[in-house]
Amino acid sequence: MKPLPRGRHGLSREYIAEHQRERLLAAIAGSLEDNGYDRTTVSAVSSLAGVSKSDFYRHFASKDECFFAAYDEAVEGLRGDVLAACREESEWAEGVCSGLAAALNRLAAEPAQANLLLVEGLRAGPGVYGRFQGAVESFVPRLRDGAPVGTSAGRPPGAADEAVVGGIASLLGRRVLAGEAARLDRFFPELAEFALTPYLGVAEARRIISAR
Amino acid sequence: MPPRGKGGARERPALSREFIAQHKQRRIMDALAELTAEQGYEATKISDIVKRAGVARKTLYDNFEGKEEVFLAAFDSARDEVLGRVAEGSAGEDGDWQERIEGGLAALLGYVAEQPILARMCMVEALSATPATTKRYEDAMETFVELTKRTLPKDARLPDTIAETLVGGAAWIVYQQIRRGDAERAEDLLPELTEFITAPYLGAGRAK
Repeated sequence: MKPLPRGRHGLSREYIAEHQRERLLAAIAGSLEDNGYDRTTVSAVSSLAGVSKSDFYRHFASKDECFFAAYDEAVEGLRGDVLAACREESEWAEGVCSGLAAALNRLAAEPAQANLLLVEGLRAGPGVYGRFQGAVESFVPRLRDGAPVGTSAGRPPGAADEAVVGGIASLLGRRVLAGEAARLDRFFPELAEFALTPYLGVAEARRIISAR
Repeated sequence: MPPRGKGGARERPALSREFIAQHKQRRIMDALAELTAEQGYEATKISDIVKRAGVARKTLYDNFEGKEEVFLAAFDSARDEVLGRVAEGSAGEDGDWQERIEGGLAALLGYVAEQPILARMCMVEALSATPATTKRYEDAMETFVELTKRTLPKDARLPDTIAETLVGGAAWIVYQQIRRGDAERAEDLLPELTEFITAPYLGAGRAK
């Protein structure tokens, strides 16, 4: 992002403030991706965002506060995409597939956010780990609500919904660490199968996924 | 160490010195694990550790570079213990693969129930303590993924990532159990986790 032009640009103070905040949030995600948590400093983030350090402190009291805000915003963005995709489907299995596809597409398109959500969420200390955990858990009801409770394949295991969401988060985190963030969307068929199989059995899961 | 004097007693000082050193290392590692479980890694100071372990500060620094190295040593020791038990639990040459998966899981959950403090350190605190502890956790996960791959039947039609997602999912469930303070009842999870891990393979097997 280019710095705002200096001088009289006729932009309102609120507009500039919000704009600066957004730039700082994007800048901290970019810096975390390139340099990791320890080497991400207030100076580095400010300079990447093209704002002064004193402007940084007008928005955030510390690096961690900026980090938390970026994290929360990334979670909200991801959740928004997933929920919107789920809402367009009336069948449970189609909703799961569409929600998963929306999540993978967003993460693949925004590798810095994928890194923030799935890798830095685990590495940057307890304050963020709690956020990571909360974010993962918030997807569990999306999988659980409306899920079949018994089919020809039998009843799903009691822990299935949490284990499926946790398993997907774990795999994605490992792949982001391996430098594959931009290609996360290619895991859609296998992750959809992993998500649907405990509820529908592997044959039905595959039928639904291949029909998409 | 050169032998001193004659007779059977000459080995004793050397042995006992090593024994004492190991014992002190163990006490330091256990103290860190306890304190980390109680108050988190960040809040745990060297002074707390030596006080809890009942050793001199110098003893800690004679044996470890600092807090992180104590954590890593405690982690490695617990991980080796768990891996040994899980490998043993899932070995059963005669047993079929489902029994071996269940045996391995039972060994893991048994360890969590028996050693809730070390389990918490390895599966909860390690994730967020320092980059080096996170790396240790990831490497240990990799080892469990490999072990699971070797135990599960080969089925070319299942996704390549299935062992990773299954182990990641099971680890998440155990993590939640520990976070809730229910590590002592980890063995309650055995039926559902076994079913969760074996279900995709059973379905695929039936479809043959």
